[in-house]
Amino acid sequence: MIQLKQFTKYFHRDGVDQVLALDGIDLGVQKGDFISIIGSNGAGKSTLLNGLAGTYAPDDGQILFGGKDIGQWPEHRRATFIGRVFQDPLMGTCGALTVEQNLALAKRRGKRRGFALGVKKEDRQLFEDRLKELGLGLENRLGDRVGLLSGGQRQALTMLMATVIPPQVLLLDEHTAALDPKTARQILDLTRKIIDDRHLTTLMVTHNMRIAIQMGNRLIMLHHGKIILDIKGEEKRSLTQEELVARFYDRQKKEDMLTDRMLLG
Amino acid sequence: MTWYAIIGALEQGLVYGIMVLGVYLTFRVLDFPDLTVDGSLPLGAAVSAVAITKGVDPFASILLAACAGFAAGMVTALLNTKLKILHLLASILTMIALYSINIRIMDGPNVSLLGASTVLDPFMAAGTAGYVVAPVMYGLLAVLITGGIVWFLHTELGQAMLATGDNPQMIRSLGVNTHHIIIIGVGLSNALVAVSGALVAQNQGASDVNMGIGTIIAGLASVILGETVFGSTGVTRTCIAVLLGSVLYRLAIAMALGLKLGNFAVTPSDLNLITALLVVLALMAPGIKRKFGGRAK
Amino acid sequence: MKRCMLTVFAVMAVLAASVAYAGPYRISVSQFVEHPALDAVLKGFQDQLREKAVDVQYHIHNAQANMATANQIGHQIMGEKPDLILAIATPAAQACAQALKKAPHMRKTPLLFTAVTDPVGGGLVKDLKHPGANITGVSDMLPVDQHLLMVKTFLPGIKRMGFLYSAGEVNSKILVPLFKAEAAKLKFDIKEATISKSSDVYQAVKSLVGQVDAVFIPTDNTVVSALEAVIKVCTENKLPLFNADVDSVKRGAIAAMGFDYYQHGYQTGEMALHILHGADPATTQVEFQEKLQLHINAQAAEQMGVAIPAELLKRADHVYN
Repeated sequence: MIQLKQFTKYFHRDGVDQVLALDGIDLGVQKGDFISIIGSNGAGKSTLLNGLAGTYAPDDGQILFGGKDIGQWPEHRRATFIGRVFQDPLMGTCGALTVEQNLALAKRRGKRRGFALGVKKEDRQLFEDRLKELGLGLENRLGDRVGLLSGGQRQALTMLMATVIPPQVLLLDEHTAALDPKTARQILDLTRKIIDDRHLTTLMVTHNMRIAIQMGNRLIMLHHGKIILDIKGEEKRSLTQEELVARFYDRQKKEDMLTDRMLLG
Repeated sequence: MTWYAIIGALEQGLVYGIMVLGVYLTFRVLDFPDLTVDGSLPLGAAVSAVAITKGVDPFASILLAACAGFAAGMVTALLNTKLKILHLLASILTMIALYSINIRIMDGPNVSLLGASTVLDPFMAAGTAGYVVAPVMYGLLAVLITGGIVWFLHTELGQAMLATGDNPQMIRSLGVNTHHIIIIGVGLSNALVAVSGALVAQNQGASDVNMGIGTIIAGLASVILGETVFGSTGVTRTCIAVLLGSVLYRLAIAMALGLKLGNFAVTPSDLNLITALLVVLALMAPGIKRKFGGRAK
Repeated sequence: MKRCMLTVFAVMAVLAASVAYAGPYRISVSQFVEHPALDAVLKGFQDQLREKAVDVQYHIHNAQANMATANQIGHQIMGEKPDLILAIATPAAQACAQALKKAPHMRKTPLLFTAVTDPVGGGLVKDLKHPGANITGVSDMLPVDQHLLMVKTFLPGIKRMGFLYSAGEVNSKILVPLFKAEAAKLKFDIKEATISKSSDVYQAVKSLVGQVDAVFIPTDNTVVSALEAVIKVCTENKLPLFNADVDSVKRGAIAAMGFDYYQHGYQTGEMALHILHGADPATTQVEFQEKLQLHINAQAAEQMGVAIPAELLKRADHVYN
């Protein structure tokens, strides 16, 4: 469904502090994939997600969606089929508006917004039902301003908003990193549920190796802007944390050896 | 302070109240500080005055003024979204350019409307005194326009506009082109300000190129005063609050002008200082409320 | 008897009270901005009335160049219910005229304007000879022909004169076609230079150097506030500078045929008296200032390389050295 071909992104290009964030990434995402993306800091995980979402256009290479090159498509155009949940729980909802107003905004994803009333009476039941599924009591707080909700509640709401109109791709960028352990677990359970129920193609960035192994059908590890591990299917199902770490160091050593050889050779 | 002075302040508060709604739209809803208003108020006045002297119906001239204001707002928004110029700077650029444009429109710095037909004529002909008709007429218009804005902000487009000002990243990830929203919003805001300018010109009998100086200050002071005194929970309440804030602001100014402490009398040149003090007081008020509210417990 | 006495006493008391009540005239003044010329107008007006021993209670307001304030003042004046309104400068007059329209109880109150250059263009009167309503006054329209004649007398061979004014002042703008027409009669033409704020003046006058034989500044508040810049450029480039404001001659212009704004106010005061004593504003024609003064600055003339014609020297009301 999504194809990245030699996708490249620099930061501060042509400057003294130029950084190669993504180095010619080749990646194919199939419909129904649930890909966990891990890697050390600065590996390029968030950059990859932002590249998919359209925050920037690639410096080199292509991104294809259903065969079409969408590299120059601005963020809001890609948002028609991409849903996002951010690391910052406050970033996915509008604090100044109410719960139902937020959901109403989400329900019009990709559609023309005109002069019809924003929050429609007939939608309220749908909102209530979906909120009930979250199990946070938000179904009784439709008229409350989102700014009054806790971080965890807002993140749950963001998840709901990103999926109320099922997107073709769901991007989760360390969406539990800023939450306390209990809430993080709740959100992860919610994540699993929503993705399973709606069969969403998902890319999830996480720092947590255990979660990465447990969730999804595919695991990708980034390092210095390159994909160094891509484990799927049976191999992933039987993967353990220790094995993952070992394979990482293995690759690392190979890489380091290469560079040492180049330096010393 | 005489009864007439109070009516006068009420009248001014209502007629400028439409401008204040425009300032609310950019400053609060879109989080876009917009100084274009110092230029679009006289723009509306100029367009309306010139149209009237050329025989256009006064009500139609107000629509023309609105279109001109919308165009001015669009220019500022385009400078900001397409050319990536900082919003404050973009609005200043448009404001400066409008000074020259307004003189061109009026073919001079001033167009007199004394004796020309205005929107008040149909009512004056009915025999009612002008100083009663004016506030009633402007009050009706202000209420209508406020109602229109409140309705608009509850539509899908309006909600997207509120979201753009509060969290542009979020609304973009829901598929909204925030550039378009800003263009529409800043355009609409300046259309309102231009309408206000057209009414002011018809009210005071002339359109003058310098009549816009200080508009943004009066607008901001009115918005802040209104929100502090009348509350700002929810869009409907806030819109009404800023309109009332405009009236309150003009009343405060009128009172200050009539104030005499012994030999010291407040003169109009002190107005800027008074406005600044008003705004500071209004901004301090929540803090004071909290401090004394807490003690009372 | 007692009742009769009481009634007489009461009637006399009422009469006495009404006579006392008919006391001073109430005049409300709306001045648009603080400015030496306009301040002088007010002073002249008040002095005239004082000299004629008229008892006046004044309410004086100053809009400080803010149109919204001028409007507010119009409303305030409505409440003061004066016997006569004096409006100094066009925007103040327009605001008062508009306020009057709205107040039926003020329909008969006379509005006197002063220091207004174009009463007809400003919408204040329909016709200079027959104002037609309750508005009339004294106009400070420049006698353009006299000004240009003075310039031509100084510089008989003049081919082109620069006209420096602010695009934002309507009193200056309306003079341009008049100046062009009169100059054509005297066989020279006019080159305009406009400014929008006083800091533009230096640049604007420099643009005239080498392009014109002389520079003329009308009674334009914005330009006059930066007069020193003009004088500097003109002196350095030996470009003769003439003016319509006599105060500027003292500051360094060669000559001006202007009015004394104090006289302007004085003349307005005379007109006010006529009206207070019963004249009908509708038939009181708009007056123009009659007394003109010629001021010459000999030192400036010498610095700018211009010889002063003997006839003008003789005529001059004041010569600065």
